[in-house]
Amino acid sequence: MIPEIEYLRPGNLQEALQMLSEYGETARPIAGGTDILPGFHINSRRFRDIKTLVDISNLPEITAIREANGGVYIGGAVTFTDIVKHPLIREKYPMLADAAAQIGSVQIRNRATLAGNFVNNAPCADSVPPLLVYDARVTVRSLRGERHQPLGEFLLKPYRTQLQPDEMVTEVFLPPLPAGFRGEFYKLGRRRGVAISRITLAVLVKMDQRVIEDIRIASGAVTPIGARFPELEAQARGKTAEADFLKELAIQLGEQILQRTGLRWSSAYKLPVVQQVFYQLLRRICQ
Amino acid sequence: MKKSKFNIVGKPVIRQDGLEKVTGQAKFADDINYPNQLYGVMVRVPVAHAKIRSIDYSAIENHPALTTICDANDIPGAKKVGPIKQDQPIFCYQKIVTPGDVVAMLVGESEEELLRLRELVNVEYEPLPVLTDPRKALEPDAPLIHPELGSNLVIHHPLRKGDVEKGFAESDYILEQTYTTPFIEHAYIEPEAVIAIPREGNKGVHIVGSIQNPYTTRKVVAAVLGWPLAKVRIQQAELGGSFGGKDDIMNILSARAAVAALKTGRPVKIRYRREESIQESYKRHAYYMHYKVGFTREGKIKAMKIDIIADGGAYSSMTPFVTWRTVVQATGPYEIENVWTDVRGVYTNNPYAGAMRGFGSPQPIFAQESIMDEIAVQLGMTPDEIRRINGFRSGSITATGQKLEKHDVNVLTVLETAVRETDFARRWRENQQQTKKRLDLAALEEAAANPGPFILHKEDFLEPEEVLRKGIGLAVSFRGTSLGAEGVDAVAAYLSLQQDGSAYLLSGLAENGQGMRTTYSIIAAEVLGLRPEDIYYLDLDTGYVGDSGPTVASRATLMGGGATKVAAETLRQRLEKVLRRHWNLPETTNFVFADRTVYPENQPDRKIAFAELCNLAYWEGVNLATIGWYSGPKVHWDESVGQGPAYFTYVYGCQVAEVTVNLSTGEVYVERVVAVHDPGTVINLLGAQGQVYGGVTQGAGYGLWEEISVDQGFIRELNFDQYLIPTSKDIGEIVPIFVEGEERYGAWGAKSLGEPTLELTAAAIANAVRNATGRRFHHLPLNLEEILLGRKLYPTSKRGSV
Repeated sequence: MIPEIEYLRPGNLQEALQMLSEYGETARPIAGGTDILPGFHINSRRFRDIKTLVDISNLPEITAIREANGGVYIGGAVTFTDIVKHPLIREKYPMLADAAAQIGSVQIRNRATLAGNFVNNAPCADSVPPLLVYDARVTVRSLRGERHQPLGEFLLKPYRTQLQPDEMVTEVFLPPLPAGFRGEFYKLGRRRGVAISRITLAVLVKMDQRVIEDIRIASGAVTPIGARFPELEAQARGKTAEADFLKELAIQLGEQILQRTGLRWSSAYKLPVVQQVFYQLLRRICQ
Repeated sequence: MKKSKFNIVGKPVIRQDGLEKVTGQAKFADDINYPNQLYGVMVRVPVAHAKIRSIDYSAIENHPALTTICDANDIPGAKKVGPIKQDQPIFCYQKIVTPGDVVAMLVGESEEELLRLRELVNVEYEPLPVLTDPRKALEPDAPLIHPELGSNLVIHHPLRKGDVEKGFAESDYILEQTYTTPFIEHAYIEPEAVIAIPREGNKGVHIVGSIQNPYTTRKVVAAVLGWPLAKVRIQQAELGGSFGGKDDIMNILSARAAVAALKTGRPVKIRYRREESIQESYKRHAYYMHYKVGFTREGKIKAMKIDIIADGGAYSSMTPFVTWRTVVQATGPYEIENVWTDVRGVYTNNPYAGAMRGFGSPQPIFAQESIMDEIAVQLGMTPDEIRRINGFRSGSITATGQKLEKHDVNVLTVLETAVRETDFARRWRENQQQTKKRLDLAALEEAAANPGPFILHKEDFLEPEEVLRKGIGLAVSFRGTSLGAEGVDAVAAYLSLQQDGSAYLLSGLAENGQGMRTTYSIIAAEVLGLRPEDIYYLDLDTGYVGDSGPTVASRATLMGGGATKVAAETLRQRLEKVLRRHWNLPETTNFVFADRTVYPENQPDRKIAFAELCNLAYWEGVNLATIGWYSGPKVHWDESVGQGPAYFTYVYGCQVAEVTVNLSTGEVYVERVVAVHDPGTVINLLGAQGQVYGGVTQGAGYGLWEEISVDQGFIRELNFDQYLIPTSKDIGEIVPIFVEGEERYGAWGAKSLGEPTLELTAAAIANAVRNATGRRFHHLPLNLEEILLGRKLYPTSKRGSV
């Protein structure tokens, strides 16, 4: 049941930051509410101490998508529906549009927001693997100031980020992608609609003839948090994309996931499958 | 075409209650509020099996948020209820036998406060050994769930026909397989809600709720209160889904609300959240089925021996009747000389199992249709061939010794229609030829418990082009209509014509979302020459028409349709009499009722408007209201050997599923389902198609995703993030085809459709997966792990784990 809670609706970002600063740990920003509200219903420990909700869903400063510095700035409270529909994102960052289109249902995508998807750092956050391979940077603001950092550093461990109680993720910056990269986002759920991810992969590859000139690999739902695989990437650079090597790479991905995640109840299924689908993904991209 | 003789019957009619439902105006039980109302909140104990020592309310009894507490001590009448055996307490007072059990209900104005207070009730209990495996329920040292009964056996249905040992001796081959199916949640969109209103003077209590079977609810509430039936009035609110699930649980919640309402003198509402709904409500039975089949090299089945254990969970509920349908239908629509079947329902500490759409048929159909395909493969036949050899024909004798006659026995007709529509045999054979490289992870995993096997070898990898495999599979069934030898089978329908030609209609059966109001309105309109929208359907209230039994067993169209037709024909005859007098026509004159007019046959120019005729009758003092009554013919049953004419007639269906299986992930996508059904006469084409779309989708859920799994009696899947039902994206095209067989019962031979549409799909999908992968799967659902590993994996921790 949703507890009785103080609900505040700031008129602009400055007001919102003041409220967060004033209420501290007992306040939480709410945008779509697609994580917090079901969390209340099951009395989730993550939300039990909240006394005040600060509604940021309509703040103009964080609900816009703009083009600058050769890349794209996406406001933290931009919904997935907006991302799916945005021509620039579809054209330049298609894996993010793909991932966004597969999140929840139409109704959920109409409410759920980009920053809302990763500020809780759930392992199955679908936007994270594509954002990681696009080298996304987050802008974090509070009354104390503003900082920028790579998303990979912002995400610490399951359900833990660098975000402080008085802070808010205001924007996500996707830098320009060098020419020649192509990639694919892959999601496996138990069903096709309204599915929580069991495996996600985002892979970007730049080929020079048959040689892998550059590669970026990220996963979600199979690792404790969404993450890149730098060793794997380093190893693949300069190699010929032949089936035998791609299989080797897939096996190593499996080994690294096992190392990072350890054995879980789901390992017997997920580990072999992630190697299979990663291999098939590489075969398709490197053709 | 028989349809041509009708004006409306068989055409697509938009349902009468559709608009208010899709626009959010319909009033469901929780939309109904009364001034001064209280809420009831349940107190449970987190244990699956225990003896209750004491319940201590001292920490909360003086709390201002608490108006009163109700427990077993407040019940004036029956403390335990149940449709067949009265083994389920309204409030537990001796034992807890499953985690959904309720020991008390806190009553007050704020639900939120009560939810907090219930944590402070101190129940002292002595834990008892927990029984979760129904296959161990009858072992001598098994813990007894209800010790006073002396055994965990709820029911045993034996069926003995011919001599199975002789049949096996005459067989060229014998095939033995074991199949299992899990508990299933109804997943109605609207969780339980009910409000009880105490009334002044001797008016008793009025209950409005999300209730599937108001007359059953009335019986339970009256028994619990120790009151006469007439002092309890049950009204059905608009109901947001049931699928057989709003029976026992709603009877019990209604009784709790009534007890509290009478104790406090104020209206009391109970409404469940999804978790509580899934935790306490009953499920479809989990089945463990062993089939042994003997057959000749020509494909003739000589003998079938079946041993089934049904997990009834903590209470008997409908287990005796659910398993009875199983014993009648377990051999499928095949004529088999020698049959030996044992179906046993047993108690465990699992959630209790009761009625759910299908009612004891989806489980054996999965087993029997799987094994039929295995026989075909073994003999080098196609699945349709083996069924053609053994399928029922007119005059066939069923396993219960019943001769199928006096209706179209359409097993083979629906089969041929489906096979033709899908080019089945050719495609099935083609798929069988596919080279089948697949991951054998089960073998990998067995190798060791160390992580090694989870890492693939290079030779294990599949290339993108060899990942997807097509499969096609079919399943056929016969289904006894209505209640059969389970019980009394009679229905009332009240029809009242008004002076202006409009009409009220109400049957004693309930609109549970199946579109029954529209079906009945079509039937009345067809007889009287009206339009369905001229008929105004009344709210169901047990005070208005006679007890018509429960709205179950796909009996509404057949039985209530029959009653509605009787009522409409009675009034039509009265109107004809008025007209003969008015126009001075002989007794032999026949009339045509059409387009809101009436005229003598062959004299279409001599027309009277229906409204004018009603007005005429009204001023002549003619009774324009009547109650139609329709009762099924007698059936009988010898329970010692399971022989007799179990049901008075049957319906037949065949579904073909076309799937794509992803060999690297275990995903199964249902591309297309062709569903061919003989429901007798179709009354509302749109309603019939809707039943097929819904039933097939629900059946696909049973096949691929749905499972209530139980850990020491506790349900793991308490909401729809974990209990997965298919979405519109998860199933491709569904093609309904109706073969309308001749039938003498019901309105113009309109029989049953709701359950047949659901019972076949999982079996057809499993056969299609077999066709695609070359591998037989014995355990529903065929989820990702089942397909790849041949077993299920369950989370070891709580929610959120992936």
